[in-house]
Amino acid sequence: MFSLPSFVGVAQLPVDVPREEVFVVDVIITAPVPHNHNFWITGPHPLVTHAIMMETLWIRDQETGERVMGAAISDPMYNDDFTQMSVELRDNIYWSDGVQFTADDLIFTVETLKATPGLNARGWHANLNKSMASVEKTGDFSVTFHLTEPTPRFHSLLEARWGAIYMMPKHVFENIDDLPAYTYTDGPYLGAYLPVEEDPSGVWQLFVRRDDWERSPAGIITGNPGPKYILEINYGGPDRKVIAMSRGELDVYYDSDFESFQSTLETAPAARSWYAGFPWGYMGEVSTRELIFNFGSETQPWFHEKDVRWALALALDIQAVVTDYMGGTAKLTNMPVPTTPALTAIYHDPMEEWFQNLEIEIEEGVMYKPYDATIPDQIAAWAESEGYEVPGDTRAVFGSGWWAHAPDVADRLLMKHGFSRDDGGNWLTPDGNPWELEVLSDTTSVQQFHFGNAAADMWKDFGIDTSLAAHERTLYTSTNETGQFDISGDWFSFTLVDGDAWPVFNIFHPDLVVPVGEDTRTTGGHATRLTDPKIGEFIDAMVSIGPDDPSSFELTTEMLKYWVENMYSIPIVAFNKFVTWDERYWTGFPTFENPSSMPLYWFMGGKLTFQNLKPVDS
Amino acid sequence: MTLLKEFILPRFVQWLIVIFVGVTITFIIPRLSPVNPVNEALARVQMYQNIDPEAVQVMRATLLDLYGLEGSVLEQYVNFWKRVLKGDLGPSLASFPLSVNQLIGVSIGWTIGLLGTSILIAWTLGVILGSLAGYYPNRWWSEGLEKSLITVYPVPYYILAFVLLMAFTFYLPIFPLIGGARGTAAFTWEYISSVLHHGFLPALSIVIGATAHRFIMSKALTTTEKSSDYVQYAQMAALPERKILLFYVARNTLLPQVTDLSLSLGALFGGALIAEFVFGYPGIGTTMYTAINNGDYNAIMGITLLSIVGIATASLLIDLMYPLIDPRVRYR
Repeated sequence: MFSLPSFVGVAQLPVDVPREEVFVVDVIITAPVPHNHNFWITGPHPLVTHAIMMETLWIRDQETGERVMGAAISDPMYNDDFTQMSVELRDNIYWSDGVQFTADDLIFTVETLKATPGLNARGWHANLNKSMASVEKTGDFSVTFHLTEPTPRFHSLLEARWGAIYMMPKHVFENIDDLPAYTYTDGPYLGAYLPVEEDPSGVWQLFVRRDDWERSPAGIITGNPGPKYILEINYGGPDRKVIAMSRGELDVYYDSDFESFQSTLETAPAARSWYAGFPWGYMGEVSTRELIFNFGSETQPWFHEKDVRWALALALDIQAVVTDYMGGTAKLTNMPVPTTPALTAIYHDPMEEWFQNLEIEIEEGVMYKPYDATIPDQIAAWAESEGYEVPGDTRAVFGSGWWAHAPDVADRLLMKHGFSRDDGGNWLTPDGNPWELEVLSDTTSVQQFHFGNAAADMWKDFGIDTSLAAHERTLYTSTNETGQFDISGDWFSFTLVDGDAWPVFNIFHPDLVVPVGEDTRTTGGHATRLTDPKIGEFIDAMVSIGPDDPSSFELTTEMLKYWVENMYSIPIVAFNKFVTWDERYWTGFPTFENPSSMPLYWFMGGKLTFQNLKPVDS
Repeated sequence: MTLLKEFILPRFVQWLIVIFVGVTITFIIPRLSPVNPVNEALARVQMYQNIDPEAVQVMRATLLDLYGLEGSVLEQYVNFWKRVLKGDLGPSLASFPLSVNQLIGVSIGWTIGLLGTSILIAWTLGVILGSLAGYYPNRWWSEGLEKSLITVYPVPYYILAFVLLMAFTFYLPIFPLIGGARGTAAFTWEYISSVLHHGFLPALSIVIGATAHRFIMSKALTTTEKSSDYVQYAQMAALPERKILLFYVARNTLLPQVTDLSLSLGALFGGALIAEFVFGYPGIGTTMYTAINNGDYNAIMGITLLSIVGIATASLLIDLMYPLIDPRVRYR
């Protein structure tokens, strides 16, 4: 459809600003409350807005793994028993009305959140009541938090991956009676950009750079003014994103499929993604795509057998999954931690020897080593045979090794537990019935959909009567969370980018498991419904250990080994994002050649990505 | 008095019953959906970051309270009617803290503007062209029109819309790709012209299909009327052709089409979902779609209420007006 040439488009943006002064950013959700900048309430706020208008104390960059200073200028400083946390603040940042940001703003923010139940976005009200006893001003730009109990991760409330507690302007908010109802439309804001115009339906929103941008954290960190305007716009489906970029009406987009990305390359000559060529996309978001088992399923009681889970993993031909179903644009991971540069260094590389020596027992006394470290090389060989050039070390590009394709071993593992094949070679369950499996997949997530298809096809070829149930995101999510599946494509990471596991892994605690039919979101648990008490013990042990403590990484490594040995889920790939930008007007977006920061601009770190941009002419 | 008692009142009662039953069904159906608004809100805030499970519990309780979803379904139903009778459709659960009234207020104008205009244009064009083509079936322009519109008519709307989108936003990029207008609303020629510019392509996509439909219907009616005795008598009496066409044929063919037009206008509160989606046009259809996806009970009920009232009222009005426009069914 896009292969025919189009006439040269003239940008028809919805706002009247010079094209060369505005950076146009795609957002995937239309926020019907564009004028409401009260990010402390639960509401459908725009995805990018928070990053360019608001400030948190710290930001965690997913590419480098480093902590970036936001409104703070020091790391969080804990006392020995983690009952106090202190922080030094920047003394050179100002609200957009010219008032200086001080410790009073931070103290006002946390005390107000603690006292106001309606200000509970991301559970801040509840968390502060649980963790913070009091907060003390120790200087104009220094604060000490007194905690109710040892809380080594208290700072995570104030450190943004996507978002965290945003600073409030005390001099304005202290005069507002009903803060949950306050829309915070007119500022002042601490970020480098201010909202100036919006579509009432929330389709687009225009921001202008502050005149004193150098008095914002992003301005100070980058020393670069960035674009004068930023226009957030929701173009909707991938087809319109492709057309918009070809018309010069969009500078960056994400959440497209591979085919749309290819169309962009054909229609927007200056467009590219993380790599300049194959495999193009960015695979550094701290998230993995996995197949999870429903341990609460009454129809698949054999999921409780480790060997059955291993059999299903070994029946998959991962090289074919990546090459035939994903066009080679994927980065493997064999455990629920993505193979980002930072996390590979913390977990994957140190565990490589253990993976290579890992053995499973096929039959009594018969051991088998399932790990195949050469799979990234096999994918690289395929890529070269297709005429692609692999940009660097195969492990860095295609991720970790994975489990060998060993259907013969899978056969023996299943037969060990009473499974059998009928005359047609199809699998029968231990009770003699045909083994039927349904793989639930989210069509909105292209990778999930692709490997869901792959798994269904491969298990079918293996002799299991497998079907694919593909749903759009909302229906998929409710089906997944209420446990109406056998196996589901899911996404998560067991650790944050710094390697800390507890803040994300805690949802697997057996105490949070709800029966099939009930929604796991009611307790904050996980859809897999795993009730292994040993997992709970790992999580309980992690709580009291500081995230930077070496023993925290050791404990997490042990937990990961336990998880992998038991094949509690089948991790497939690190998350691939075709973050695609057009260098027609702006340059300086982070790339594989210049990995200065993450290209995931909708996270809090996106403010640095934007601030670093320079007009192409200069 | 008899008119009121025997004609108007029964129809008014029927109108009330239709609305009551429709709204009650609309209240029940979203609650049977697997999508729960509180869980969807929790999913949204956990999209990129996990939240402490204890905090999730507190958030859930807060959201139930804020959304007014506490209490039994019956209590919620009674509260719903209390609110509706006061003109308050409640808070939007997916766009909280926006109210449903505000949510509808933002989008309904676009839908009325796009669909209302398109329906009227298509109806007028279809009736005029269809009547002429039916009355003069052997003219070259009549045959050409018929062949063209019959070719267009069976093309599924989404394909037609997508072809127009590709043709005029990509290959020949003369129309905007998204939105209902440029800039902020203002009573200036610049803004009004941008509304027309943005609405042209989606309107064209609707007008083409709807005109074809109306043309075929109108031509068939005209052909039938033309062969009726009174028209043939008028022709034999050598009455002017224009008079026969306008006052004998067209007037009679208009009756069912006026009914259809009023029902179409009543239904426009349901929105034009596909047109809005394909062309990125703001409107009530997209609002409804988002509400269904997010389990936004209040918004679903608010928009459906509007749609039910729209269609029921259009039916009522046409029922009441029919005797005025058709002497044959005039109430005696």
